[in-house]
Amino acid sequence: MKNITKIVLTASLACLALVACSKKQPPATDPAAEDAPAAEATATAAQAGPNADSLAAEQARLEAERLEAERARLEALINQIMSEDVYFDFDRSELTEKARELLAQVGELLLKEQRFTITIEGHTDARGTEDYNFTLGAKRAMKVKEFLIAYGVSADRMESVSYGKENPKVEGSTEEAYSQNRRANFRVNIK
Amino acid sequence: MKRIFVLLAFLMFAVPSAFAAIDTIAVDVGISVFKTMPIGVVPFAEPKGKVSWIEEKPHEIVSRDANLSGRFDVIASDKFNLALFSRNRAKHYITGKAVVLSDGRVQLDCYLYVSQTKDLLLGETYKVQQKDMRRAVHDFFDKVVKRLWGDRGVASTKIAYVSKIEGVKQVVVADYDGFHRSQITRDTSISMMPVWMKGNKGLVYVNFKTRRPRLYFKTFGGVENPLFTHLDQTYSPAVNPKTGELLFSSTVDGKTDLYIGNMQTGKARKFAYLKSNQTSPAWSPFATEVLFTSDRGGGPQIFVMGKDGSDMRRVTFMGRYNERASWSPSGDRIAYTSMDNGHMNIYTCALDGSDITQLTSNAGNNEHPTWSPDGKLIAFSSNRTGSYQIYIMRADGSNVTRITKGGENTSPTWSWFYDEINP
Repeated sequence: MKNITKIVLTASLACLALVACSKKQPPATDPAAEDAPAAEATATAAQAGPNADSLAAEQARLEAERLEAERARLEALINQIMSEDVYFDFDRSELTEKARELLAQVGELLLKEQRFTITIEGHTDARGTEDYNFTLGAKRAMKVKEFLIAYGVSADRMESVSYGKENPKVEGSTEEAYSQNRRANFRVNIK
Repeated sequence: MKRIFVLLAFLMFAVPSAFAAIDTIAVDVGISVFKTMPIGVVPFAEPKGKVSWIEEKPHEIVSRDANLSGRFDVIASDKFNLALFSRNRAKHYITGKAVVLSDGRVQLDCYLYVSQTKDLLLGETYKVQQKDMRRAVHDFFDKVVKRLWGDRGVASTKIAYVSKIEGVKQVVVADYDGFHRSQITRDTSISMMPVWMKGNKGLVYVNFKTRRPRLYFKTFGGVENPLFTHLDQTYSPAVNPKTGELLFSSTVDGKTDLYIGNMQTGKARKFAYLKSNQTSPAWSPFATEVLFTSDRGGGPQIFVMGKDGSDMRRVTFMGRYNERASWSPSGDRIAYTSMDNGHMNIYTCALDGSDITQLTSNAGNNEHPTWSPDGKLIAFSSNRTGSYQIYIMRADGSNVTRITKGGENTSPTWSWFYDEINP
């Protein structure tokens, strides 16, 4: 399941890379692909004369920088949202005061970045049955979704899913591990 | 069990210590609510030279079946010993003969005798590869159960469970004694909650390949088929023992309801319209009623209702967390898991919630009870040794025997009886 999260992260970033035409993402394959248009641009510029050449190159460079900055900004935002876990009390799905504060920040980000869609994943700690923990995780994810709807985020940008106790963040059977695992977290996609 | 401990404690105080040893014996017998039948087991004769056994010898497999069955107490003896058998009230004994055939197979002649008269009650011959010998002995043992109890035995049944293989939960199937394990799912995503299709034709289970829990079924040797794809987040499958229909949970927007569906047509409808969330459905033996868990009181509690969703009533009242009930094959009791101080333990009770018996205690978490089809045994998973493993116990909680080793094994589900008894 951790792999899934990683895949999602990679997929989201790959999406971004496409949107932003980044030079860095994905690191292994992209440079080759990026070289071609750049070379083409140089060739066109060369025909137009030395002045136009440097001007076009400068524009291309600025544009690339702008896209790169935009990509970095979005990536930072996505990372921020994905790292904002909301925690719950044992066998409860009510949002705590702290959870509400945090969700308000996430709501703010989502209102600003209309292209983001999210999947809210509800989780439980390792105690209890698999079956009931699915329903509990679902209730937690739903409480988060309801809060964000109330905050103004459109419901069709959010989907919720329960992982029950199947995807713990922290292994172990201590209260510390349990409290870390009773959570809802976000997966971010770009429309 | 609790009641018995209380009794035991009472006896310890009430009886002078000189008699304590004797009383321990008396209480020991009292703990087992089961009436077991002593039975003699004698090693199989190997007339034409010794057989080099690759695993357990036939009489060892017989003994294990007998001890696991919840029906017998084994009186082991190196050879026929009437004095020993009589002293232990073993009216019958099992023995046999093993010969290696010219093609390398083993011929097993298995016999059930009356101790006093040496009358032959039952005799069966199997010609099998050594690796299949265990199943041949299981078959013979089930015939012994039939002969002496008039019931079908479970030695030829299987258990499906979840095993962590290279870090991923996969569904596997093994013989009821833990041998002959075979892997059913080979996915990079989690598979879980296996239950048996009618006629033991295959399994229904949950997989996460779509990043959401979804039910699939797979016949043995067949391909995997997604189920009820028009419904979101499906899990908690329960196969109707009469019709093969599937009762299950589906979660839409945080609300979990029970649905009933036909696996062949893919059609499903809501089973009950309730405000609360419902999960963990379980059919009564004749599919007339359904047990399930509802969170209407806050935490999970067990309820029962008719198969048409009528006449709902609450079953469990003790404690704040009672979940995942399953109906005994005879229909008179339910087994379920209860959480107390963060630990899971297995209980049984009558259908009206009375006569609660705690079957496990002071041994880690004990979860996911599943009845053997003859109702004599309960398989469950426990982390009492540190890692989760599958255990079998008698339905009164006695005689706990571990049947898996290594890794992490959880969520056992016992198969139905096999219609044809395989050789």
